[in-house]
Amino acid sequence: MEEEKYDILDSIPDLDNLKSFTDRYFSKRYIIDFNQIKNNDIMIMFHSNRIALLSLAPSHFFFKKQEEYKINFSAGKIDRLNNAVKGKSKKGGQYLVPNSVICKVEYADGTSFDIPCGMKGTLIEVNEELIEHPELLKDMPDADGFIAVILSSIAISEATKNELLTHEEYLEALKSCESSHVE
Amino acid sequence: MIERSIIRLCKDLGCCDACCVRYLGLKNPSSYENVHQFVQKYLDKDTNSQSQTLGNEGHADPDPNLLKETSADRDNSPVDINTAQPNNGASESQTIDTKTEVDVGTSSIPPAKRMKMDDVCVTCLGILQEKTWPEAFAMVQDVLEKKRYECETIACALSSPIAAILRERAVSLHLEQACPGYEQKSLMPLKEAWKWLFGRKLADIVGKRLDSGAVAPLLVTLNVEYPDDGQELEVVRALAPALFESRSKQRRRFSVEFTRRSVEQALGGATAGAMAAAGWRAPPRPAARARPVSAAAWHAPLLLGGRYVKLSRALPQTPWLVAGRRMMHSSVQEIIFEPVAAAYGLSPEEGEQRLKLISAGREDVDVRCLGTGRPFALEIADPRRTPDAEELQRVCERISAERKVIVRTLMPITREDLTLLKQGEQTKCKTYEALCVKLGADGAPATVTPLDLANINAYRNTPEGDAARVRLLQRTPLRVLHRRPLHARRRALLALHARAVPRRPALFALRVRAEAGTYVKEWAHGELRRTRPALADALGARADILALDVADVDLPWPPNQ
Repeated sequence: MEEEKYDILDSIPDLDNLKSFTDRYFSKRYIIDFNQIKNNDIMIMFHSNRIALLSLAPSHFFFKKQEEYKINFSAGKIDRLNNAVKGKSKKGGQYLVPNSVICKVEYADGTSFDIPCGMKGTLIEVNEELIEHPELLKDMPDADGFIAVILSSIAISEATKNELLTHEEYLEALKSCESSHVE
Repeated sequence: MIERSIIRLCKDLGCCDACCVRYLGLKNPSSYENVHQFVQKYLDKDTNSQSQTLGNEGHADPDPNLLKETSADRDNSPVDINTAQPNNGASESQTIDTKTEVDVGTSSIPPAKRMKMDDVCVTCLGILQEKTWPEAFAMVQDVLEKKRYECETIACALSSPIAAILRERAVSLHLEQACPGYEQKSLMPLKEAWKWLFGRKLADIVGKRLDSGAVAPLLVTLNVEYPDDGQELEVVRALAPALFESRSKQRRRFSVEFTRRSVEQALGGATAGAMAAAGWRAPPRPAARARPVSAAAWHAPLLLGGRYVKLSRALPQTPWLVAGRRMMHSSVQEIIFEPVAAAYGLSPEEGEQRLKLISAGREDVDVRCLGTGRPFALEIADPRRTPDAEELQRVCERISAERKVIVRTLMPITREDLTLLKQGEQTKCKTYEALCVKLGADGAPATVTPLDLANINAYRNTPEGDAARVRLLQRTPLRVLHRRPLHARRRALLALHARAVPRRPALFALRVRAEAGTYVKEWAHGELRRTRPALADALGARADILALDVADVDLPWPPNQ
């Protein structure tokens, strides 16, 4: 029949321009020096449907330190692992503000640092894979090493997206930081 | 002879001939063919000694003896209609007068321009009286001319004033008192009598055949209103004050005070005594007649079954709107709707409102649906005509002309068939073709080896003999998570086969047979490990998906093909 000539092989894209899963569906935004801590840089990836993924930005000081670490989702009184959402409206998810700590990175040397979420929203899920496989945070920060899924209203999602640094602005900001250091 | 008494009493109250027959309890349509003659026959028997001459107006002068005669059986003194009338202006000058009816059977007489108040039936408010009809006929004709149905049969329905219920009840109670042996239950409902009287005539005028609503798909609804409706219904409040008090306290639940239901409820326990106490020993002369205010016509929906092949990777199933703006300039739905709407006599704008696409699932915008296509049904509401098989074939050709969507056949289906479609969505397997890429640790394309393919083709995470090759746990994909609950669902791949892609060392093609509801794309790229296991586990390396086609939807459809 007429459609028989259609084959999946007629849909081969340009392999030089392959985009990763997150680059296909998300737009990346950045916060640098969060809470005035140098290189406390996070990245939030926004889906057009207002789902957001929290990650560490490539410039985060975490990537410079070579030391065994573990991820602890217990942030003070709140255990992020207890987060549960119900139904379409995601009732019961923990409420987040930009300062809310999602997890701690705890080094073998006894030091640690907090990862804040950087935006208002509801916590939908945390990446529990990081407990068993903490190396994902270092190896695939903008993919399987994401930290949490956050959902906010369209208004907040759009406002946050506009407020935070785009990829270009982020690169620009990093450059000017470096140069100011040199001086 | 009870019939005679009933007719006599009805006439005395001011009922039209048709209502007399209704109160007799006659339910066969033939009794309504010539109600005037029918009633006159009984009255003639009463008055044959007086050698009546009957004009169009159907005189039947009241015989004072007759009144006595009809109520002689009763213990009570004869009901004096004069005093039974409440003191409203319309009835002041009223005497016992049966000169109220225009012959319903003589249609050739042009209707009087304006009906005298005395002529308006006290119970149907003129609805069953032929001279009130031309206005309604014109309204219905107007609607039918606009909508141009080809359907040859019609059914008709009446939305009548609520006051008619009250009046009907008042007459019934009166008859019950004045005529022993009369049973209220035997009353032929107004709507039924109207269908046989008005409906039959209407059908002639519009050139269609009258049938019952259960048979004729084309339904004409006439909405009739009575100006004094609200005012008269105040009587009902007096009959059941508690009911209306409690209703008024629940404003939110009962926004309208007098509804058919509330009035019927209030009248349920009403007695002649209670009605009399409320000032209604007999229904008063209507101050005006009920008048048609609108007519509507509606053809029962029709259903079509078919399958669509989607050849575009930039075509959503339904118009894709983000914040009111469309993201793609067309959709499967729109491509199908337009020619179908035309075949059913609907304009494109009407089609958008009247047509509904019901499909066994949907594919993403960028996924094609090949093979025999995806089963779907169309519901066409208020069709103006019904195309035959040959025409439906031409509709398919028009849909397929652009080669974005191909529909090979369309055929009429039943509403029961729809369950098959919806069940199929949830239970039937689908076969997919996926174009995938192997990735190195750095995320760059890597060469697929024969061993890689062999790994995939040998891969299973279930015991030998299990119907499923791979059992998955899938979290609700991020792309739909904003509108669906977060769950981890168990799904299964029943078959999985990989083959090399010629001249493209990093690519491989997969044929996957998956249980209904499996998100194949998410399985292929793993969605940040939110689907486990993923294609990467079968391959032993990172992988991603580049293109997806639905190759087959495993559902026999349309039924009885």
